[in-house]
Amino acid sequence: MLGESIVNGFELYLEQNDGEINGEEVETVERDTEANTNRGVDVTRELLVEERADAIVGPVSSSVAIAMMQTIQNEASAIWLNANAGNYRIAEEGCLNYHFRTSFNDWQTSAPLAQWVYDNVADNVCLSYADYAFGQNSKNFFKEAFTEAGGEVVNEVGAPLGTSNYSSYLSDIESSGADAVFSFFAGSDAVNYISDFADYGLNDEMTQTGSGFLLSEDTLPAQGEAALGMYSLLHYTPTRDAERNQQFVENYNNAYDSTANVYACQGYDSAQAFAAAVEESGGSDPDAMANALSGMELESPRGSFTFNPETHEAVQDMYVREVVESDGENPVENEVVTTIEQVEGPSWGCSL
Amino acid sequence: MIDSILRATLLGIQSGMTLALIAAGLTLIFGMLDVINFAHGALYMLGAYFGVVIAAQLGSFWLALLLAPLVVGVVGVAIEMLSLRPLYGRNPLYHILLTFGFAIMIQGAVVQIWGGQARQIPKPDILTGTVTLGSLDYPLYRLFVLVVSTLLIAAVWLAIERSNLGILMRASAQDTEMVNALGIDVSKVFTGVFVFGAVLAGLAGVLLGVSRSVNPGMGMGIIIEAFVIVVIGGLGSFRGAVYTALLIGLVTAYGALIVPTLTELFLFALMAVVLMIKPNGLFGTAEAA
Repeated sequence: MLGESIVNGFELYLEQNDGEINGEEVETVERDTEANTNRGVDVTRELLVEERADAIVGPVSSSVAIAMMQTIQNEASAIWLNANAGNYRIAEEGCLNYHFRTSFNDWQTSAPLAQWVYDNVADNVCLSYADYAFGQNSKNFFKEAFTEAGGEVVNEVGAPLGTSNYSSYLSDIESSGADAVFSFFAGSDAVNYISDFADYGLNDEMTQTGSGFLLSEDTLPAQGEAALGMYSLLHYTPTRDAERNQQFVENYNNAYDSTANVYACQGYDSAQAFAAAVEESGGSDPDAMANALSGMELESPRGSFTFNPETHEAVQDMYVREVVESDGENPVENEVVTTIEQVEGPSWGCSL
Repeated sequence: MIDSILRATLLGIQSGMTLALIAAGLTLIFGMLDVINFAHGALYMLGAYFGVVIAAQLGSFWLALLLAPLVVGVVGVAIEMLSLRPLYGRNPLYHILLTFGFAIMIQGAVVQIWGGQARQIPKPDILTGTVTLGSLDYPLYRLFVLVVSTLLIAAVWLAIERSNLGILMRASAQDTEMVNALGIDVSKVFTGVFVFGAVLAGLAGVLLGVSRSVNPGMGMGIIIEAFVIVVIGGLGSFRGAVYTALLIGLVTAYGALIVPTLTELFLFALMAVVLMIKPNGLFGTAEAA
């Protein structure tokens, strides 16, 4: 589902440019990493060595991305447009010259929300998160920023990935007495967590906030009215009022008959970045392409963003969104409440 | 503290009873047909997806609750008559491969038709909100699920123990040839049992599709749990499946209160302990055909 949206976004850009970049036809080869690290490495090697790819787009999973780093570095034959894997360790441990984050990192989707929550919602929070690398990173980054802002974290509640019933975790959250909650859950977990949260009436007692994946286009149709009034932070929101974005949403809808989501935008921007790299460097030499992209600014449906020349992370606007009622196909949608401009984030010792 | 215990108890009974709906079908089908139905989780998932569609098209949760399980029953008829029937009496491996194949095919079809995105059946207005029990606020819908699934299980139990149909079912399981000789078409009884199991699984799918996310992985997730319950309860024993489902529901609910991260472990630890002491499961020797 995530991978499919990324591919759709990527192909949308190609179709809009008649399948050509810099006058040359673009050939795409798709491989499924199956979210498996070994498979990810095999697929990477296959794409680089046998298919002689000039750019690798993906993967969805961060653990796969971390496993792929060595191969991409060793082969040194392609640029890597990271269209979703958000773990900050890719910058910290990899810090590859070929790596460009056309997506986000887990610091960006958590820490910047802390100051906003402190200023607008509450000075004390309870943290709840899916107990794996991404969830732990998100809550740690938020905690650090929230404490720095002067707020207090009263409790932390971790639930295993794939938990189907959150009621016992919710009683811990409720008894923490916090005025707000910051959470990281995604996909099905986010749906189950939010519907349990609303069912137990916690909406009346505390304000739910979270990383954008808690309340995004892939979960909101299922979460429905249970999610009303909740806040989250993400770098892309399809309802954002900007011509570039509305155009993208419309084109995407015409092409695939579905609402554009953050993954589609990341795929689209990966294609844009590849095109820009080829055009700017005048060819497909990986080092020349990487030099061209470093520090480059791209106009994206999400707003304009720049590849930080030191880390190749995306420096981008982050949007605080509130779930509101909608007259559209789904009962609810996100509405941008505040824009936190050009969020950069730490460099984690990466200096290219 | 008392609140958390009460909440865990209610939750335990509720999840136990919904699990029993699924495990009951699984164990009945094994008991009568000698078939381990790996497609049972997929039928549960189909119930949830049909529920999503019917609730969206007809705008009524109640119609979804009524119709979706029946449509699942129709799928059950097709599976039993067209594919399982020719394989009765063969090595159980055939049934496992066949039903496992169906599970994968149904899951693939679901992804093709509805995509990988999570969905949910909207809650009926009349069942939204919470009820106050002492000092505890408990979601009304969960209480509804608890009551409905408990009543259903009680009704099924009574039907198996008391009704003529139940007696016929048990007789067919015990001695197929004799029942046949008495002029009863056993193959119809077999179809009936399979469909009945499918309908129960479909019902559980609709009931849980309101409070849990409906997604293509849900069938494979539940079949393992249901299978563990059937094994602990004793393969083929309805009574065993119901008691065990309740036990598992409560153990996981209380377990989550103490050490949330280990709840999965409780399930398998319990199975290991029971199998070591009673290799046929809790009620296996008494009732297994």
